[in-house]
Amino acid sequence: MLWTSIFGVVTLVFLARALGFGRNAVLGSGEEAATRAAQAIAGFVPVEAAVGADGHAALVAARDGRLAMVSGFGDRFVVRPLEGSRAVLEGAVLRVRLEEPGVPAVRLDLGEAAAAWARKFEGRT
Amino acid sequence: MTFPDPVQIAIPAFIVAMMLEMFAIRAGARGAYDWRDTGTSLAMGVGNTVAAILFGGAIVGLGSWLWQYRLFDIPATWWTLAVCFVAEDFAYYWFHRTAHRVRWFWASHVIHHSSQHYNLSTALRQTWTGFFSFSFAFRLPLFLLGFPVEMILFCAGLNLVYQFFIHTELVRRLPFGLEYVLNTPAHHRVHHGTNPDYLDRNYGGVLIIWDRMFGTFAQETEAPRYGIVRNLMSFNPLWVAVHEWWGIGRDVRRARGLSEVLRALFGPPGAVSGETSETIRALAAGQQPHAQPAE
Repeated sequence: MLWTSIFGVVTLVFLARALGFGRNAVLGSGEEAATRAAQAIAGFVPVEAAVGADGHAALVAARDGRLAMVSGFGDRFVVRPLEGSRAVLEGAVLRVRLEEPGVPAVRLDLGEAAAAWARKFEGRT
Repeated sequence: MTFPDPVQIAIPAFIVAMMLEMFAIRAGARGAYDWRDTGTSLAMGVGNTVAAILFGGAIVGLGSWLWQYRLFDIPATWWTLAVCFVAEDFAYYWFHRTAHRVRWFWASHVIHHSSQHYNLSTALRQTWTGFFSFSFAFRLPLFLLGFPVEMILFCAGLNLVYQFFIHTELVRRLPFGLEYVLNTPAHHRVHHGTNPDYLDRNYGGVLIIWDRMFGTFAQETEAPRYGIVRNLMSFNPLWVAVHEWWGIGRDVRRARGLSEVLRALFGPPGAVSGETSETIRALAAGQQPHAQPAE
């Protein structure tokens, strides 16, 4: 039974890939990022959002000062509140590191807005 | 009366059904797949099979030992099979409800909810650690009642096979009033939803009547957002299998006293972070969350 199962797994994964089930999620707008953050975090009322240049991730600020990150994961998005997270500013790029094992830093090219968003992280760690 | 293993018989049907679902979705039917997510779900299923091989014998052994002290001598007939099936489904309801309300059990069960997709492959995203969280304890009363051991295992297998087929978005509603009695794709979509009104609802396995009886039923009224409150950022099966145990360990380490340790271990999921289903529902309704009711 185990070998049948393993053969089935390999076949199904290849079939899913061959059928094109594997696009990467891309954020269309800051509004979309804000909506996703509000849906995922109870009581989170977004007031501002900035999407990275590649559309892979976004930062969202809430009315109460909280920050959240919306990040592509496969063909879906994952939302994280950013309490305790660190951000490093490198020119126009902000690298956000979550306090979560195995999760690499998320890179956001925010252009001129990067410095202002980096300031929002100050005093959070 | 002999009892085959329904899951073993159904595996080829599972594979064919997933293929048909993929083709249907590709042709425009409702639903979604992501090969990475599917790979993880199926790897979890294989790991669950390995865990069953490793630990299944001990569970059957314990059940057989308890059966020696049975209250009744229940014969293997068609009518006792039907009673056993309903009794097993009732035990499943309470296992499942506890698995969502007590973090110790949730740490194993969360694996099944950790996909943001809802398709037939999600059904096979199963725990590797159920043995360690004592999930099997909920079925032990059936052995003590006196149902034949093979009959209980057969009914548990049937329950599992039935539940595989309700993990789909292809089916909107079942006809002939079946939605009132059975756990259906629509009811189970609600169960996998993270929408505030859908959290901790529809625990039933085959029958939805238990949820209607015990006040945990919710009708599908809006499109579910599948997954868990804090969705995973990893397709790594090992991390999927242990992430909530890791979270328990972290929260126990940070605890300042016995009550916080107990809350981290046996409180409802989200009790430490303040994100239980009750607080989320209250915040979504624009209310100040109240203290957690004990369940």
